[in-house]
Amino acid sequence: MRYKILTVDDSKTVRIIVKKAFKSFDCEIIEASNGVEGLAAASKEKPDLILLDITMPVMDGVEMLTKIKASHELKSIPVIMLTAEGGRDNVLKIAKIGVRDYIVKPFKEEVLVEKCGRVISLKPLTDGPIKTKSVFDPAIILVVEDKPAIITQIQDGLKHTPWKVHGVHNPADAIEFCNRTPPDAIIISLTLPEEASIPLFRQIRQNVKSKYTPIFGLVIKTDLALQQQGQQVGFSHILTKPIDNAELEARIAKAMNLDTSQRYFMVDGDVFVMRLPAVTNAPVISEMLGYLKSKVAEAVDSGIVKAVIDLHELKGITPEIIKLLIQAMATCKDLALQFTLVGNSQIISECKSSEDTRNWQFHDSLADAKASFAKGSPITPQPAGAA
Amino acid sequence: MPTIDQISETVFRDTINRAVQDVFKTMLGRTAVLHTASDVANADGTPWEHPVQIDGQQVVGTVGFIGDISGLIYLYLTVDFANEIAGYMLSMSSSELTDSGHEVVNDAVGELTNMTVGTFKNQLADKGFPCRLTIPSILRGSNFSIEPVSSATRRIYRFSIGPSVLVIDLLMKTGD
Repeated sequence: MRYKILTVDDSKTVRIIVKKAFKSFDCEIIEASNGVEGLAAASKEKPDLILLDITMPVMDGVEMLTKIKASHELKSIPVIMLTAEGGRDNVLKIAKIGVRDYIVKPFKEEVLVEKCGRVISLKPLTDGPIKTKSVFDPAIILVVEDKPAIITQIQDGLKHTPWKVHGVHNPADAIEFCNRTPPDAIIISLTLPEEASIPLFRQIRQNVKSKYTPIFGLVIKTDLALQQQGQQVGFSHILTKPIDNAELEARIAKAMNLDTSQRYFMVDGDVFVMRLPAVTNAPVISEMLGYLKSKVAEAVDSGIVKAVIDLHELKGITPEIIKLLIQAMATCKDLALQFTLVGNSQIISECKSSEDTRNWQFHDSLADAKASFAKGSPITPQPAGAA
Repeated sequence: MPTIDQISETVFRDTINRAVQDVFKTMLGRTAVLHTASDVANADGTPWEHPVQIDGQQVVGTVGFIGDISGLIYLYLTVDFANEIAGYMLSMSSSELTDSGHEVVNDAVGELTNMTVGTFKNQLADKGFPCRLTIPSILRGSNFSIEPVSSATRRIYRFSIGPSVLVIDLLMKTGD
């Protein structure tokens, strides 16, 4: 839902500053230059929040606020005063009419956004509705951990990714980092000194810039009570020590909603390639199955008629992998895509010894497979284990 | 009820200094340094000398305050400084400002004046002198002076903000 904010101020400068402050959030700013225009805009647009100045020509902000509160239709709209009219007595008098907050000019844009974010749930604008971040795009991961060795371990575990891992040792540095460079994901040790982990989590969640950032808790595997507490508080996921780097990477990618398909599916020249990584375990198979049909369809749609299923990195065959391969072959066949296999000696040998796969034939390399298409003689195995 | 005579020169100076510092730091990220502050000048019928001493084209913002104390505050800026301020506040380039005409710069200076006077009078309101702001207005031109009526007191404060000069002219109705 796109929120509407009505700014009522006779100064165009203030209205522009308000617009500027919210430009990176998914909301619409409606403008009015006095109380009369403000009431008309409020009735027509039914905004989710009104920012109201006091000193204005035609109708001032106090009169407009009084009329809003007297209107059955408008009285539930929250109002935040944004005015140079301060002073204790003045603020108290206006607060009694009914306002959510009172901001005295001069004001910082961050303060305005933060106070409005307490009233409406502001969401940062994404780069666009269609573009999805990929695992090959850079990202910033913040690790809040008082033990430097753990930070180093996470940095080492993710060094093959394009992600930058920044480590800080205390909550104050974490807050400062979040304000300066909003991270894409945050990992917080659940055992920070002085039980600071959960207050830090809440503080980060209150900041509109990091309200929707995935936050992971990190705790020793055996501390079940702390794991449960972290889940109850609302951490995106609880990671356990000792850290499983593959799990860590997969969890972060999933939480950041990254497109991981490029790890497994790519187009090489005029050939669609499905590549199984060395360790193709259950989470990888599940991920590949999730993308399989759409990626093959996408390739066919773009005019590709040849496919290679590349197993040369794979370390071993399992029944689950065989099922995945059979499904991939069936999908290629359904869409009339010519396909062939590439394998290493270990995989070829294992396939020979299994009933379902003994008739599968392989090329030694991707180059061979591509060349076989050119010669018109690709080795096309029969899917579904057919001999 | 306290009277205006009970407010010392130091309080006036500190209050206006705090207001200018607060507004320029918050809205423009700039530090203002108070250089000179004139003593209060009581109207005695003698003509005022032109005290502002800003050369060239000027943009002057003014906002009044009315209540238990009443007066006017003028902010004097050079045209270049006014353009710089408007450009910063509105994130506009100098060519965009030129295309937009005087109206945009006038509005930005008016709002800056409104904030400065608001911060000044809010501090006085908390000291027991409640009053309300008026709507800002702008004067443009060169080689002009603004003279108060005889029943007003006048205080001049000169600030430097980086290489630029800001002059504050505080006119207050006497307490009779």
